[in-house]
Amino acid sequence: MSKIIGIDLGTTNSAMAFVGTDGKPEIIESAEGARTTPSVVALSKSDERLVGVLAKRQSITNPANTISSVKRLIGRKWDDSEVQNDKEWAPYEIRKSENGGIDIKMGDKWYKPEEISAMVLSKLRADAEMRLGERIEEAVITVPAYFDDSQRQATKNAGEIAGLKVKRILNEPTAAALAYGLNKEKNEKIVVYDFGGGTFDISVLEVGDDTVEVKATGGDTYLGGDDFDKKLNEYVVAKYKEEEGIDISKDPLALQRLKEAVERAKHELSSSIETEINLPYITSDSSGPKHLLLKVTRAKLEELVSEYIEKAAKLTEETVKEAGFSLSDINEIILVGGQTRMPAIQASVKKLFGKEPNRGINPDEVVALGAAIQGGIFQGDVKDILLLDVTPLTLSIETLGGIATPMIPKNTTVPTAKTQIFSTAADNQPSVEVHVLQGERPMAADNKTLARFILDGIPPSPRGVPQVEVSFDIDANGILNVKAIDKATGKSQSVKIEAQTSLSKEEIERLKNEAAVHADSDKKKKDLIEAKNQGEALAYSAEKAVKDAGDKLDSSIKSEVEEKISTLRSALGSEEKEKIDSASEDLSASLQKIGESLYNEGKEPEQNNEENKGGENKGEGGKEGKEE
Amino acid sequence: MPKENNKKKELKKDKALAENTVEELKKERDEYLEGWKRAKADLINYKNEETARSKEMIRFAEEGIIRDMIAVLDSFDLCISSLDKEKESFTKGIRMIRTQIEDVFKKRGLEKIDTPTGKPFNPSFHEAISVIDSDKPAGEVIEEVEKGYLWNGKVLRPVRVVVAK
Repeated sequence: MSKIIGIDLGTTNSAMAFVGTDGKPEIIESAEGARTTPSVVALSKSDERLVGVLAKRQSITNPANTISSVKRLIGRKWDDSEVQNDKEWAPYEIRKSENGGIDIKMGDKWYKPEEISAMVLSKLRADAEMRLGERIEEAVITVPAYFDDSQRQATKNAGEIAGLKVKRILNEPTAAALAYGLNKEKNEKIVVYDFGGGTFDISVLEVGDDTVEVKATGGDTYLGGDDFDKKLNEYVVAKYKEEEGIDISKDPLALQRLKEAVERAKHELSSSIETEINLPYITSDSSGPKHLLLKVTRAKLEELVSEYIEKAAKLTEETVKEAGFSLSDINEIILVGGQTRMPAIQASVKKLFGKEPNRGINPDEVVALGAAIQGGIFQGDVKDILLLDVTPLTLSIETLGGIATPMIPKNTTVPTAKTQIFSTAADNQPSVEVHVLQGERPMAADNKTLARFILDGIPPSPRGVPQVEVSFDIDANGILNVKAIDKATGKSQSVKIEAQTSLSKEEIERLKNEAAVHADSDKKKKDLIEAKNQGEALAYSAEKAVKDAGDKLDSSIKSEVEEKISTLRSALGSEEKEKIDSASEDLSASLQKIGESLYNEGKEPEQNNEENKGGENKGEGGKEGKEE
Repeated sequence: MPKENNKKKELKKDKALAENTVEELKKERDEYLEGWKRAKADLINYKNEETARSKEMIRFAEEGIIRDMIAVLDSFDLCISSLDKEKESFTKGIRMIRTQIEDVFKKRGLEKIDTPTGKPFNPSFHEAISVIDSDKPAGEVIEEVEKGYLWNGKVLRPVRVVVAK
């Protein structure tokens, strides 16, 4: 069945996504390998129609025939004030069409805005077909929540002109909510804060029975991340002029390099407190080449754009009020658009609503992903009987030192099975206890016991030698079967555990949170226990090595090793990891001497016969095999 | 006798019902088996796709580094072009460092796009950063302002050029 793709048809850039075989939405890359495609169309000087990145590259040579930001015109009437505004900045020609709409001139032909958008959609469709290897005939296309019927219809027409059956025209904020899975709780109130490159949109949504309702919209269609770049650019140019007396904005290449460096700096300041703009050979004057090296702090950037952030906050407040809610009524906030990566904006949003916004999904891609999910819902004829569950909490088995060793991690899709081989902790241990646990903590005692059973009859052997195969199997009914088999005797024991998901959603969340809160102290505990276990094993094998070497071992080395063993054993009782670690290292170093001594043992009586060195020692070395 | 006939009828009915049920169960079984096989096939295919994806991830990771290093190559280019012709030995050393860096990336698929000066502007490989009046034919590239690079056949950065009006 052919896929329904989701398309975010943006003012400056567009993106598309589909739902893969694993049910998760994924961005589809363009033919050029980019995750977004500029919403730009052009008729080149050589009469070639260009779309996307190629159209953008030649825009300076051909401004009158390079059409961008058509989204500002689609579905509008000529007399709209927005259109009259756009007329001012658009380098291409537009006129009133016969029916009061808008015509756009490209080359020597006039096109409707939807025809231009259709060209962008055609490229997206062709790229998707190439990437996915199948015909794409249906799509979900997103539009701003404030688009009226005429704008929505025109967008739908654009899709059809591009040969796509538009299954739905979806609101951008709703798509974002879908991507986060926030369309499920009835009466939940959501604010989508969309700060893109060129526009700022606020939408207030309320989840209904079957739909997500748009209660109010607001924003500023001429406020975006580009304005932030501009401010930073102006600051750098001014500073440079002050210091060097040169105005680099007059040089097109310098300006281009500066523009890119400033955008990069802006991105870096989202994760660093300060950054440096480093542009060697930015320009030159009579005294020679000149360079630009300027430190920019996050504080400075925030100062430069504070008026924009405040404006956005004010518009947000107004829109929420318009929806008839107070700021504290809002249950969830979603961040959309690249500019929302800025810490100052996230802080502003958190301050306004008193809660953390949702931002785990790439803000440039979230709308396309949400549209893809809607497409997936239309496609989905998933049989109920095939709906698969996941196990919500980790299932483990208790191992040496009281550690919970995971067998089936949380969120594993079931039915599933996992098997692992365990062994004994002491010499001649006759049985093993299988202690089945549920929970996220690394120490067994902090998790819930689901079952315990014993497998006995293990033949006497040194520790670590027996092989007990333990398997966890969750069947389609959610029943956990745990079985332990001794590979030597074939003896087995098992236990069946019914519904271990009797915990409510809140309880599960609480347990997960507890694990997170205790993560640090739990890790320390676990690390100590592991150091102890390893120390124990090292002491044991050192004792064995001394015993095995017997008389062959030089007595001074023997006493050194035995001393180190007893130091380690007392460290093991101390509960101090550093003590254990250093005693272990010490013993390891000394242990090597046993090997060396045994190797060299052949040498001593023949000190005066250098020639015999090679052959003899090789024989001795082969004995050490303790591998299994 | 009527009673016996009734019994016979009953048995016939039961037999038909049983046969029907068997048919339905067979159908269901076949459906489930088919579904199971598909699921197994999907998993195998997914695993194969994962391997391909992993390879892509590595390339993707390299692309980021290479893209950033191009800026360093640019700086070297600017430095070299600004150096006095007299200080040839000095310039040579810097030129060699630049070549060193470029070689590292050439091994991983980096390729310089041919200098397009004198050729027609082609947005597939060039980006116009300004247009100027000139006696050259319209649409011809007058100057290469910044080098362009391909990476594994894909345009990593187009050549930045000045075009004749």
